[in-house]
Amino acid sequence: MADAAFLALTVITIGSAIAALELRSLIYGSIALMGTLGGIAGFFFLLDAPFVALFQLAVYVGSIAVLILFTVMLVKRELIFNKIEDKRRKFAGIGLMLIIMVSLGAVFLDSGIKTITTDEPATDFRDIGTDFVTYYWPALILMGLILAGSVTGALVLAKREDVENDQRAS
Amino acid sequence: MSVIAPNFKLSEFIKSLLDNVFWIVLLLVLIGIPAVMMVLFFMEMPVIDGELLTPFLALTWLADPSRILPVVKAFMATDIFRVMAFPGFGFAALLAAGTIFVERKMLAKLQLRVGPFYCGKFEGILQLMGDGLKLISKEIIIPAKADKPIFWAAPVLFVAAAAAFVAFIPVAPGWVVADVEMGLLGVFAVIGFFPIITILSAWSANSKFPFIGGIRALFQMVSFEIPLILSLLGVVMLTGSLNLSQIAASQSSFPWIVFLPVGAIVFFITMLAELERIPFDLPEAESEIVAGWLTELSGMMYGLVQLGTYLKLYAFAALFVVIFLGGWNGPMVVPPFPAELLEEGIELGPIVAGPFPGLPLFDQAMLNGTLWFVLKTVAVIFFILLPRGVFPRIRVDMLLNLGWTKLIGLAFVNIFIALGLLYAGVLGPGGLQ
Repeated sequence: MADAAFLALTVITIGSAIAALELRSLIYGSIALMGTLGGIAGFFFLLDAPFVALFQLAVYVGSIAVLILFTVMLVKRELIFNKIEDKRRKFAGIGLMLIIMVSLGAVFLDSGIKTITTDEPATDFRDIGTDFVTYYWPALILMGLILAGSVTGALVLAKREDVENDQRAS
Repeated sequence: MSVIAPNFKLSEFIKSLLDNVFWIVLLLVLIGIPAVMMVLFFMEMPVIDGELLTPFLALTWLADPSRILPVVKAFMATDIFRVMAFPGFGFAALLAAGTIFVERKMLAKLQLRVGPFYCGKFEGILQLMGDGLKLISKEIIIPAKADKPIFWAAPVLFVAAAAAFVAFIPVAPGWVVADVEMGLLGVFAVIGFFPIITILSAWSANSKFPFIGGIRALFQMVSFEIPLILSLLGVVMLTGSLNLSQIAASQSSFPWIVFLPVGAIVFFITMLAELERIPFDLPEAESEIVAGWLTELSGMMYGLVQLGTYLKLYAFAALFVVIFLGGWNGPMVVPPFPAELLEEGIELGPIVAGPFPGLPLFDQAMLNGTLWFVLKTVAVIFFILLPRGVFPRIRVDMLLNLGWTKLIGLAFVNIFIALGLLYAGVLGPGGLQ
């Protein structure tokens, strides 16, 4: 069952990633990107990490894909892209990708990934939270400051200055 | 009498019904039953308790409560029943249908109108059924330059996402379709899908009004999602759990709205915006952009989107009840199942029926929980419907200002209130709970 699900997720993830690159329609390309991100969320489900999986769905599929979709819809693609159909470039790209995949795979297989036992219980996300507030507290504070800075910056950027009369300012 | 069908005669209607019954019985006797018998002649029927299982015997058994009740009870424990009927789709769709009718009627009373009046003898009570039949029988028109695959898929996906949302809601102790550890995160993930479906549907129609409505919906939903998530974190901190059943069960002595009223108010306002209801109905502003992102949808596609919208309304109201109003918790008002019915059966003069081994179908806690849950949910739905008769629509810059500055600030205030309660020892270990 898990193997079948893994295979199906792999096909969905890689297939939609290829589609996201290759499709001429930008909207369908971003929908395919959503499929890729959703497939990665499925992998997290298979790895007994539903916390990460649901955040992957909520943040990547729910927000980032929406941003990409929204940007694509407001763009006139004829003005930006020139179609360059070149056989040699295509084959060179495929060959380069194959070389990278094979070398990455060799690195992974060499790294001792086969000796990992898979029967260990899933890590509770509460333990991760406890680690963050005890041992890794500087990292937590750093992340908090960065996020607070970015939220404040976004609010400052979004604040409108050009309100003329008092009636329009709510 | 009504002016809608001037030539209507009740006697003619009954006569046509009787005609249909006559022909059905005649065809069944002359063709149906002989055909079944011919098929059965070639089939091996099983022998149960020394009797050959003929269709007549099977029908007799179906009418016997002592045989059919355990079957019904076993069916109610299956996942199919949970998904299709009780805590899932059927229950939610029933409440959603009731909501549509009550909304139309209540809005009419608020605006000194009459509302649905002609369908059905009493106060237009069959109006909803009539509307449903109309939508099913209407032609579905696809715009010529629409992107057809996305245009077809969007309403179905909308209903599917709303049904997935409904699946996370616990109605009574143990009665929930998907009792997952990360229920609240799952709800956030599902809520994140609605803007995608909306903008895809709006874009694929290839028309300017849906596109403007879709962009407005995207702005509104994405900017109100953040205060929505933040306003629920206070409850998660106090409960220490993301499981919705555990959150509901943790409120057995008092609901969280007592301690976190700010979070409840923020969640209610963001809920109105996520549901695109007045005063936040900019995506469907019917006086500006026809019907917003629903403009090009027709027939049952529009019906599906409406069904999804009202399922979503029920699910949001139920989420409010589960998180802030105590879910199924309430005083036990349902009486216990009479014990003598189980042991002796019912005596009606000379006839004694039972005892029935399958009873009771639902236990007392489940009935009581469902009763309180439905009462609270209906109250919350009433308060969601009420602003429609009271407030005008607000401008889009006011909406974004409200979402990005005021509501996010209030949500953080709510989180600090929760932290203060936790560290002061009022709640949590050593405190009230």
